[in-house]
Amino acid sequence: MATLADLKISEVKLSEEQTGKWGMVIDQDICTGCQACVAACAMENNLSFVGEVDSGYGRSMHWIRIERFWEGAYPEVKMTPNQPMMCQQCGSAPCEPVCPAYATMHSQAEQLNLQVYNRCVGTRYCANNCPYQVRSFNWRDYERPEPLSNQLNPDVTVRRRGVMEKCTFCIQRIHKAQDKAKSEGREVVDGEFTTACAQACPANAITFGRVDDPESLVSQLAHRGHGVKHLEELGALPSVTYFKGG
Amino acid sequence: MSEQFSRRDFLKLAGVGAATTAILTGCGPASRYVKREPYMQMPEYNYNGQSTYYATTCRECAAGCGLVVRTSQGRAIKTEGNANHPLNLGKTCARGQATLQGLYNPDRVTNPMKRASRGADSTQAMDWEAAIQAVADALKNNKPEEIAFLMGMAPDHLFDLVTDLAKATGMNAPVRFGALGMFDARATLSKAAENLFGQASLPFFDVGGAQVVFSFGANFLETWLSPVSYTRGFAGLREAQTKQRGKFVQFESRMSMTGGKADEWLPLRPGTEALVALAIGRLAAEILGGSMPRVFASVDPKDAATKSGIKLETLEHLAEMFASSNGALAIPGGAALGQSNGLAVAEAVLALNALSGNFGKPGGVYLSALAPNQTEYNRPASAREMQALVQNMFDGKIKVLFVHGVNPLFELPASLEFGGASKYVSQIISFASFPDETAREADFIFPDHHGLESWGYQRVATGSAQPVLSGAQPVVSPYYNTRATADVLIAAAQLAGGSFAAALPFKDEVEFLQSKIASLMSEADGSISGPDIATFMAYFQQHGGYWKLTDGRGAPSAEDMLNRTIAAEEAEFAGEGEFFFVPFVSPTLAEAGANKPWLQELADPTTTVMWNTWVEMNSETAHELGIENDDMVKIVSEAGELEAPVYVYPAIRPDTIAMPFGQGHTAFGRYAEGRGVNPADLLGSHFNEAGDLAFAGMKVKVTKTGEKKLLSRLESVMGVYGIGLGEEK
Repeated sequence: MATLADLKISEVKLSEEQTGKWGMVIDQDICTGCQACVAACAMENNLSFVGEVDSGYGRSMHWIRIERFWEGAYPEVKMTPNQPMMCQQCGSAPCEPVCPAYATMHSQAEQLNLQVYNRCVGTRYCANNCPYQVRSFNWRDYERPEPLSNQLNPDVTVRRRGVMEKCTFCIQRIHKAQDKAKSEGREVVDGEFTTACAQACPANAITFGRVDDPESLVSQLAHRGHGVKHLEELGALPSVTYFKGG
Repeated sequence: MSEQFSRRDFLKLAGVGAATTAILTGCGPASRYVKREPYMQMPEYNYNGQSTYYATTCRECAAGCGLVVRTSQGRAIKTEGNANHPLNLGKTCARGQATLQGLYNPDRVTNPMKRASRGADSTQAMDWEAAIQAVADALKNNKPEEIAFLMGMAPDHLFDLVTDLAKATGMNAPVRFGALGMFDARATLSKAAENLFGQASLPFFDVGGAQVVFSFGANFLETWLSPVSYTRGFAGLREAQTKQRGKFVQFESRMSMTGGKADEWLPLRPGTEALVALAIGRLAAEILGGSMPRVFASVDPKDAATKSGIKLETLEHLAEMFASSNGALAIPGGAALGQSNGLAVAEAVLALNALSGNFGKPGGVYLSALAPNQTEYNRPASAREMQALVQNMFDGKIKVLFVHGVNPLFELPASLEFGGASKYVSQIISFASFPDETAREADFIFPDHHGLESWGYQRVATGSAQPVLSGAQPVVSPYYNTRATADVLIAAAQLAGGSFAAALPFKDEVEFLQSKIASLMSEADGSISGPDIATFMAYFQQHGGYWKLTDGRGAPSAEDMLNRTIAAEEAEFAGEGEFFFVPFVSPTLAEAGANKPWLQELADPTTTVMWNTWVEMNSETAHELGIENDDMVKIVSEAGELEAPVYVYPAIRPDTIAMPFGQGHTAFGRYAEGRGVNPADLLGSHFNEAGDLAFAGMKVKVTKTGEKKLLSRLESVMGVYGIGLGEEK
């Protein structure tokens, strides 16, 4: 009888063989925690700001956040390497099977974890089950006074109250690049486009690309050897590799 | 076509016709001097659903990073870095990203207006003709020496225009100021360079090429000088593929975001930076052998260890690290220079570089490249020079004050009494785009366009090896009834006639810009060139500026540097109290970010606090004083007092408290107003030798008030079911 561990191995194999898989490598050693990625993500993806009180309740809409922890006590205190955390686009995502509405599900075409806003009924089971705590829920229709709405990105849906949301790996950019490549009769070239966070990062700590292509920069980095995946033991097969740094 | 051709693929193919092409355009919605002809083929910005991209320059600080703004149907959608721009190579900071929230801010000044009385809410809208007449009258009806311009550190083209006007008419030369310049202690850096290298200049520190970096207070990953460029340098320092991973040591009394990245963080006693630098120099010189350089000879490392609170063994270990590396770099900056002995600190730290012999070498100290149309480095005014301006206002020497791009009532310490002095100025005309504190105290507001609606250029003062003149063009048409200040001044000068009209013989701002960049048209080694000014200007806009293709940095002369003597006394501290007070610029808000809601909602990189001001206090100290997180404390300095909630911070000296600068607005729109407090209210008027404010040279008293103010923070509330603001404790 197949054990759970055997299952995991077969899933890993399956996942590696998937074509079209996008992934990320994040170098925590050079991430300075400057928040440029967070701001870039908010601007690209039409994220609402929730104000002081709601953000104090943990309701802020950060699709990416930068974690830092403390080690030791003064004067030998150290800040752990900044850890940008966003949806890890798991190959076997714990959020997916708990959704009663099939609102969060695995995309075969992009090998991403999708959030289908118009299916979401707001049970928040997915956020409960996400080991990375990267999902944010629209507790209200957050105000965006005119003319702030002028900056809304027409490629990205504006979400309403009662809907869960999270990092999409800037799927609108993926599609745009794929469309463009297709119209020119070619494949998407590595580095041709990137996500908003990676594009902004002044330290170049974030690299995005196809992990199923061994030639891509992100694959080369991911196989450098000292990368880790967060909470790998859970078997969620995250698509983001971290260099711990220090 | 096979059966595997899915509906999605079909839709994708159908969408191909609308696929975007990122073409940078030189002629946009607000272009001038473009001959209109019928199109053979429609330009891309005429198609629905297609984006157009314009290159321009970021105005969120004065560094001059190049932006490419995506627009769609006349609206700005997203700012990105300009990948070809030598300063930022396609990258931006958080403030650059959020610049659209300034452009589309709901609280912009929408019309020229006259205020019923200073400080009053009621205003009367004007038309631009009347506004220009008012400016012309102000110029014409006062003696030139009674007219003063106070300007921000950006944009440079307007500064050049006003400088030309002042030179031709005898008006006071424009004074430039910005809180970032004050907290960077730029005057001190520049003075130290003048004393040591014989040339006032902004030194450039090549962090990326170094093997070991010692930073004395420089917050170069946050807001210091040119943060995007320095962050790239930091990434280069850490790069371990082609070289050994570089080491980074930070000396500061309160762990900054920059200090958080250090391999070794050394909380020295404030005021002992010069001593520590010289002691490390002495110990390193001993390791290197040879005769002891005079500059280090008089310092006693044991004494330095005692006074600074850093163990002698640690100093020896650091000296060993510094001496044994073949690429050691020392950077002075920030709070270390904003003290009474700041100039000595800067010189002592620069002397370490002389020991390392890194001047003009990769991984060392350079003199920053001057921008293409610049002959010498112009630094912004120091706080002492601002005090002189304030004194002139008090003395009634200034009858008209024009203010553009700076908010002195918020950015200057209250103890300099800009507010009091402004009462002696008959007329204050503000060109503010936002209703800030200074605009509220002005008689007129003649709003300038937002930076993304503006023409202009900005000289890149430091951060790039190449000389760069960063170009700005409107990426969208003006959203409100605002007008370019340059256009207003040109029109008003014509109306005023005489030497004013002669000084600005231009049709408008663009013609002025062209006159300023025309000399670059045929220069060698330029990134662009053109046969005539119209073509050159179009390239200038399209590429986001003009830069040289050669390295324009200078090598400082290190002669005699090691033979000097530097007074290594400890800094003096003003006021009474048990705590050193360290104000620092908020890395996310900086001086003028508080009105952008998404900058407010970014978590502070070290404390994760959002939307408010906090006081950082050491965990042990807080415990001893019976203070917990979110307890309000009252801070009293010799200059003022204020109240703010405590954030118990593990990485600050027990005898020090720190506060971010950026909040505490009493005007500036709904997102900024009435939020937090401004630590500049606590700062006294004490200066260092270079004239910079000794902002880190205060001692304060702290008492618990008994009240609580819950801070909104990202940490401990990650995910959706955390605890947070308003939770029962």
